[in-house]
Amino acid sequence: MKQKPDQADYQTGSTVSGPPTDPEILLEVRDLHTYFHVMDGTVKAVDGVDFSLKRGETLGIVGESGCGKSVTALTIMQLLDIPPGEIVSGEIWFDGRDLLSLPPEEMRHVRGADIAMIFQEPMTSLNPVFTIGDQISEAIILHQHVGKKEAMARAIDSLKAVGINAPERRVKQYPHEMSGGIRQRVMIAMALSCNPKLVIADEPTTALDVTIQAQILELIKKLQVDTGAALLLITHDLAVVAETVQNVAVMYAGRVVEAGPVEDVLLRPQHPYTLGLLNSIPALHKRGRQLDVIKGVVPNPFRMPPGCKFAPRCPYAWDRCSQGEPSLVEIPGRKVLSRCYLHTFEAASRRADFDRAAVATVSGGTR
Amino acid sequence: MTRYIVRRLVGAIPTLFIISILIYGFVLLAPGGPTAAFAMNAKMTAESRALIVHRWGLDQPIPVQYCRWLGVCNPDGQGLGILVSNSGVPYFLPAAVGGGNNGVLHLDLGISSSKNGVPVTEVIGEHFPRTLMLAGVALVVWLTLALLLGVISAVKRYTKIDGAITVFNYVAYSFPTFWLGLLLIIIFSSALGWLPAGGMWDVKLDPAPGFYFGSSEYWSFFSQHPLAVLADLASHLILPVATLVAVSVAGDSRFVRASMIDALRQDFVRTAGAKGVTERRVIFKHALRNALLPVVTNIGLELPFLFTGAIATETVFSWPGMGKLFIDSVGKFDYPVVMGISVITALLVVGGNLLADIVYAIVDPRISYG
Amino acid sequence: MVESGGARVVETPEALEELLTAHPDYDVQLESLNQRQLAWRRFKRHRMARLGSSMFLTMVIIGIVGPQLLPFEKNSYVPSNQIVQIGRPPMVVPYFHPFGETTQLQYDVLTLVVNGIGLSLLISVCATFIATCIGTFVGGIAGYFGGWLDTILMRIVDALLAMPLIYLILVASEFIGHGAASWFTVMLIFALIGWLQTARLVRSVMLSLREEDYVDAARVAGVSQMRIIFRHLLPNALSPIIVAATLSIAAFITAEAFVSFVGYGIDPMTPTLGNILNGAQEAINAGNWWWAVFPGAAIVLIVLGINFMGDGLQDALDPRAKI
Repeated sequence: MKQKPDQADYQTGSTVSGPPTDPEILLEVRDLHTYFHVMDGTVKAVDGVDFSLKRGETLGIVGESGCGKSVTALTIMQLLDIPPGEIVSGEIWFDGRDLLSLPPEEMRHVRGADIAMIFQEPMTSLNPVFTIGDQISEAIILHQHVGKKEAMARAIDSLKAVGINAPERRVKQYPHEMSGGIRQRVMIAMALSCNPKLVIADEPTTALDVTIQAQILELIKKLQVDTGAALLLITHDLAVVAETVQNVAVMYAGRVVEAGPVEDVLLRPQHPYTLGLLNSIPALHKRGRQLDVIKGVVPNPFRMPPGCKFAPRCPYAWDRCSQGEPSLVEIPGRKVLSRCYLHTFEAASRRADFDRAAVATVSGGTR
Repeated sequence: MTRYIVRRLVGAIPTLFIISILIYGFVLLAPGGPTAAFAMNAKMTAESRALIVHRWGLDQPIPVQYCRWLGVCNPDGQGLGILVSNSGVPYFLPAAVGGGNNGVLHLDLGISSSKNGVPVTEVIGEHFPRTLMLAGVALVVWLTLALLLGVISAVKRYTKIDGAITVFNYVAYSFPTFWLGLLLIIIFSSALGWLPAGGMWDVKLDPAPGFYFGSSEYWSFFSQHPLAVLADLASHLILPVATLVAVSVAGDSRFVRASMIDALRQDFVRTAGAKGVTERRVIFKHALRNALLPVVTNIGLELPFLFTGAIATETVFSWPGMGKLFIDSVGKFDYPVVMGISVITALLVVGGNLLADIVYAIVDPRISYG
Repeated sequence: MVESGGARVVETPEALEELLTAHPDYDVQLESLNQRQLAWRRFKRHRMARLGSSMFLTMVIIGIVGPQLLPFEKNSYVPSNQIVQIGRPPMVVPYFHPFGETTQLQYDVLTLVVNGIGLSLLISVCATFIATCIGTFVGGIAGYFGGWLDTILMRIVDALLAMPLIYLILVASEFIGHGAASWFTVMLIFALIGWLQTARLVRSVMLSLREEDYVDAARVAGVSQMRIIFRHLLPNALSPIIVAATLSIAAFITAEAFVSFVGYGIDPMTPTLGNILNGAQEAINAGNWWWAVFPGAAIVLIVLGINFMGDGLQDALDPRAKI
């Protein structure tokens, strides 16, 4: 697999084994499969996901609800409920160790200290019966082995770092005494309190007001730069991704369908799904037209289509698409990977044909 | 906080008022009415009967009788003066400040009509410690067990352990208390002969006539042979306590289990895990603390039980406590005792409810006392 | 799959595909079930509910039909080891006492138990029915109208509930029944005390239901208050009421057993499960365990069955359940 030394790299190989050769790579997920066994069948929530992340870098994972992005994050942290869930196969290389092969005690030490996670719902993610000072210092005491007083002092410092006023007073308050934005800052403070190497943020701003969203994102960016931690940001909001991360991976139906630097993916999307997502954003120059949508719905997890999972909804699909699943390939001339047969040699002209026809329809529609 | 408590206390007064009317109403149902109820005992002298008639107003219209019984009316007063004590102060105030000394509000529950003129308070005072011992021991044991079983059941839900505990709960819950007691007597007393079939003390310990639990003879015997008496007491406690525990654990442990499962599902449990907290700490510090909130408030509701005892258990095991006293008194038409017990019970129930609410408000930081 | 008339009913898309591959000429129609039918279907599938229902129904059948089938009158005395002419149905059989005999009076325990089951169930079911009706009415009115009506009613209910129910029952039984009441009296006493819990429950359900939008819609359309309560709100409140009613049958059985056991129930000559146990007390010391064990076992089986049923009902009627 090609490796460009100065930017992020996306490996599709399960042919590679052993820790990543480049010591700069902090996190590498290879061919991860996480399934859930429920009454009606088995849901393949994550079905072959690969990506990697270097130290101090930022990667965004984008996708609709149900595409498996949160499950990927929970799998990395191994916070899944194992009886219905099962990590079927794959490797998660973090800092030279395969997390999936670690004994539970060691994994517990990784959590909070090396990898920290910020969750979506600040309202319910904090324990209502303990003060926030208690909750932040709990992690500090656990991982940094200091006494209560010292831990509380560090907790106050971390509150200051996330921009909370009067941290000495706040530290004694309970979660329900704070607004959503402040609570999310507390969550961030808690996550960063032990200086983790990787921060996973699962939809950190989705539950917040729009004005607060911007503040929190700014805060996350600033802290990431200040502490040098790597950031894995999970969201369904393309705008958030555009503003916050360097690289992005688009997920659909449990797989990565497109990945690359954020400007490339968002400005020159290669995969039909990404194209559809970007087209469906209402824009001023489209005034007066019908809204573009991706036709159809996300497939039923128990009845996935054969072949490419996006084929039933894809405007470019042809019979090749339902016969087998395409693999993630690098687009020649770009640093972008995409999972689509359109990029194969024989389909080269297909897209151009479609685009011509589509343009015709569009301009026809405005008359 | 104090405002909350005061408000609830004030709100409880109308309820208590209605309860007192209802309790007094039962006496009116008795054949012969209140006169027969209070003054019927043939062993009474004419003097004591006259005293009772005077104090309780048995020759007065019913509202006045109720008033006297409650302790708001002065037996010595005339006309509207009945509301005022002999010292010129409203009668319902405590005697210490010059109020009255007759009636429920002044802690005078009357004279037992079946026990030779012994005041009701004394009768209750004699029986209460015995119930307290039985109910207290049982309460501690079953609460501990319920917590243990409930937490284990919740943490290991849907496994075989949970299944076994659940089956036990269902079956134990379906047993009538008194029948379980009978069964235990059949097995351990009749068949195996290991444990006594009832009572609270063994008469054979000391055949002297004044020997019963709480009497001076009992205590002097205890100081001479402490181990023997303790062993005897324990042997009499085992079966009734086992009965009570078996039936009560079932309901409570399911409650703990449900509460604990709810707590374990919460988001903050996942956050704690993400911080790297050990599983044991997550269960006992983070989840249990939240799960205990509804459980702890229920304990306030169990409070009256320590007083009323378990009528069924005490009857089956002939344990001479409050429950047995109640049944015996009903059987002997001893209205003063029955009413006295009812009054205290009602007070405890209302008080227990109030205590449960207050404890909940204290323990849950989210509750604001508005 | 279920057959009905000329139509076959399938429940999953896979089953549908199977059926259509076998019979491509079949016509497909969608049938939608209303809430009640869905709940009934869930109930039928619930394992515990099935078990509990069969236990309970078995007991009911035993209680109704049993006394007719058994050779003895409920309190007839028959010496052992004799062949007797049986009254109904007329036949001559050698008999035995599978559940043993009582001491002294030598009644057949099986007959006693079977009759007891019937009578206890009769009392409990009737009391539950009446108590539920009264409680629903009072709770419904209190919850719907609120205000001073609600306050007064609930104060009374709270006051009555402040005294443990056993107290009320014992005192009422003693004063009214004097220990030799008919089953109807006992049943009435239970009903008059049992409606309190139902009232509280219905009131709280009503309090939340009356905020629903369809209530406003009905008021705007001019529907009278009473009609709103009874035709619109109560049917929606049915689920918790049904579950509570089922469980209260069990509560009444246990309560009746205890009240009779201490002697304040029905007259001792008429067997109820509690009465039998009353007589059995002294016999235990003499070693006669069967007199006490079988009636109690019957109680346990009935109550257990009801509890299973109640659990199943609760799951089946849960509005958040899927399918």
